[in-house]
Amino acid sequence: MDLELNDVQRELGSTVRRLLRTKYNAEARDALLASEQGFSRDMWNQYAELGLLSLPFAEEYDGAGMGFAEVAVVMEEFGKALVLEPYLSTVVLGGGLVAAAGSDAQKKDILPGIVSGERLLAFAGYEPAGRYELSAPATKAAESGEGATITGEKTAVLGAPDADLFVVSAATDSGVGLFLVEAGAGGVTVSPRVQADGLRTGSVLFDGAQAQRLGSGDATAAIQAVIDTANAALAAEAVGAMEASLMMTADYLKTREQFGAPIGRNQALQHRAADAYATLEGAKSMALYAKLAITGAEGDGAASEAGKDRHRDILAAKLVIDQAAHEISQESIQLHGGIGMTMEYPIGHYAKRLTVIPRTFDDQDGVTQELAALGGLIEPSAMDV
Amino acid sequence: MDNLLSPEELEFAEKMREFYRTEIPEDIRFRNATGQELSKDDIVTTQQILNKHGYAVPNWPVEWGGQDWTPVQRHIWLEEMQLANVPSPLPFNASMVGPVIATFGSQEIKERFLPKTANIDIWWSQGFSEPNAGSDLASLKTTAVKKGDHYIVNGQKTWTTLGQYGDWIFMLVRTDPDVKKQAGISFLLIDMKSPGVTVRPIELIDGGHEVNEVFFDNVEVPVENLVGEENKGWTYAKFLLGNERTGIARIGQSKVNLARVKAYAATTKTARGTLLDDPLFSARLTKVEAELTALEFTQLRMLSTQVAGSEKPDPRSSVLKLRGSQLQQDITELLVDVLGPQGLDFVDDARLPGGFTDLPPAAVDALRTYFNYRKVSIYGGASEIQRGIISKAILGL
Repeated sequence: MDLELNDVQRELGSTVRRLLRTKYNAEARDALLASEQGFSRDMWNQYAELGLLSLPFAEEYDGAGMGFAEVAVVMEEFGKALVLEPYLSTVVLGGGLVAAAGSDAQKKDILPGIVSGERLLAFAGYEPAGRYELSAPATKAAESGEGATITGEKTAVLGAPDADLFVVSAATDSGVGLFLVEAGAGGVTVSPRVQADGLRTGSVLFDGAQAQRLGSGDATAAIQAVIDTANAALAAEAVGAMEASLMMTADYLKTREQFGAPIGRNQALQHRAADAYATLEGAKSMALYAKLAITGAEGDGAASEAGKDRHRDILAAKLVIDQAAHEISQESIQLHGGIGMTMEYPIGHYAKRLTVIPRTFDDQDGVTQELAALGGLIEPSAMDV
Repeated sequence: MDNLLSPEELEFAEKMREFYRTEIPEDIRFRNATGQELSKDDIVTTQQILNKHGYAVPNWPVEWGGQDWTPVQRHIWLEEMQLANVPSPLPFNASMVGPVIATFGSQEIKERFLPKTANIDIWWSQGFSEPNAGSDLASLKTTAVKKGDHYIVNGQKTWTTLGQYGDWIFMLVRTDPDVKKQAGISFLLIDMKSPGVTVRPIELIDGGHEVNEVFFDNVEVPVENLVGEENKGWTYAKFLLGNERTGIARIGQSKVNLARVKAYAATTKTARGTLLDDPLFSARLTKVEAELTALEFTQLRMLSTQVAGSEKPDPRSSVLKLRGSQLQQDITELLVDVLGPQGLDFVDDARLPGGFTDLPPAAVDALRTYFNYRKVSIYGGASEIQRGIISKAILGL
């Protein structure tokens, strides 16, 4: 049994870590946060040069032909540095949907542009009235011959302000369809917003926008598979952010003095930090669990048995990760005291990301209910029933 | 977990699964599975079958009946045992005194005790805690004064689990009162039939008699019953407590207990269906299941970095103890809540003769176990001790 990273993955992690340590300190990140764009094109190009944007894609589409395990390594490092570039929206969601649902021609057309860093994608799935529901869009597609037009409103579209290409879900005669819509097409209007963690998001209105169907047939399974992968990616990112946040907190407890001694001498604070550490270990375990669920079922749709197992395992992982993010983000601020609430100190920035992550693709209550409805992880069994 | 194992490990797991279910009597496993109190006979019978096949003390050196297993194999051995509802080998013998004697004892003392300890021909009791030495174990006061070729032992031990069955007791005793408290402790073996030893039961809130006080009044103990060197007992005790902490999360046991909660909940009717479908109950259950999976993977992560043969304690085992205790307790509470109003009394038998409806399954053990399991966050280093270890050894506070 080997649950550790392999040499290639370890090397990938340390490469990303080195890059971010030199280029992504708090000062540089603050400048990006305050900028119009909200992230760095320069960093994006460096990720492209390092091959980070190519990791999950097949070699025939200019990809590295690796898999989610390598994406998870990158996401964990991104979590430690609170990276602002649209990796999740472009590579995991947009690219993931194209790879999962697109035709060969569409993959050849789109994926190389993602890999090179030229094209940014966004998934327009959520709607104002639907909360986390993705299986019943009100957005409509009118298909005629080769093309289609899309009409409807999408919200919480991660990466919307800078996307070159939207992957839009819409109701069709054959279930939920996915459509490609160029950001510059007529009838597309973006209302940009900034999440509390600094990531760019927004609402998008499609008013008879020209579209091309991505693949064919009902895309519900492909969407589910990609959202599962995105949740596993967020699990890795959350672990990176939680670890950084807790280690920073432990350092602060050793250096901050009150009543003539480091505050970490107080057992009340030691025990809270120890509980947070135990929580972090559980979160690491479930990020691993999520990674194994994805890598073990790569290529399986949600409808298959493997797809169902994968989805159930991701729900379990998200349940634990979300609770951990909640606890560690709150405890990190409390253990710091007032300084943890300032914009000039990093702890609050971690707390913001860790508050957004658990609510990005479903929330704790929804995940709990769905996992329970699926029968949980353990079969009922007793020798006397 | 199965998909993480190598073909050889899977084969080993299958072998253990088969062994436990065919070789250990069904009635013992049934009693264990349904929460009934195990008799001394049940425990002795099981351990002797295990020992006959080399499965009672795999963690011991091979020459004394141990197995040359990898950490993963040891994990499988224990996990499959728990999943098959097989009572574990008596921990006082198998994971406490045995490894101490095997590691620190003289050849003579090994030969005298290890075979009988593995085969539970001697039932060992633990004499560590005292009324004023709990978490601060090193402050113990029971004395052993050397007089000729004997020690004269005076004092009191407490929380002696199943001491009513004990043949021998392994003790921490103070042999030098004039040095730092840890430096004056020795590890001594005492025959409980010696004159001056008195065992008194302590009644617990679960209604049972599991623990005892043991009194020592001028008990004469031959000097050859000392393990290792005089005044080195604290080192041996730390070694022992480190062994105790591995496997203390009892994850396999918690899986079995949770499966049992779900089976009963599925047959318990509510106004809207079964209790298993109740939104609030199933939400609690589901969270515990997910947390248990997290703990299982924490244990597996520790195992995968553990090198065979390396016994260096991993401070993360405190995480296993801390969270494992919490989950074990949560599961006992879920079981109590399955029973509702019919689980609020202590009964010895769920069958009610004379035309009455039988009480539901688990009526015998749910509430007792709930109260009994308050112990798991106290013994083996209380949760507060574990938090202290984590904050010092891992976070550096």
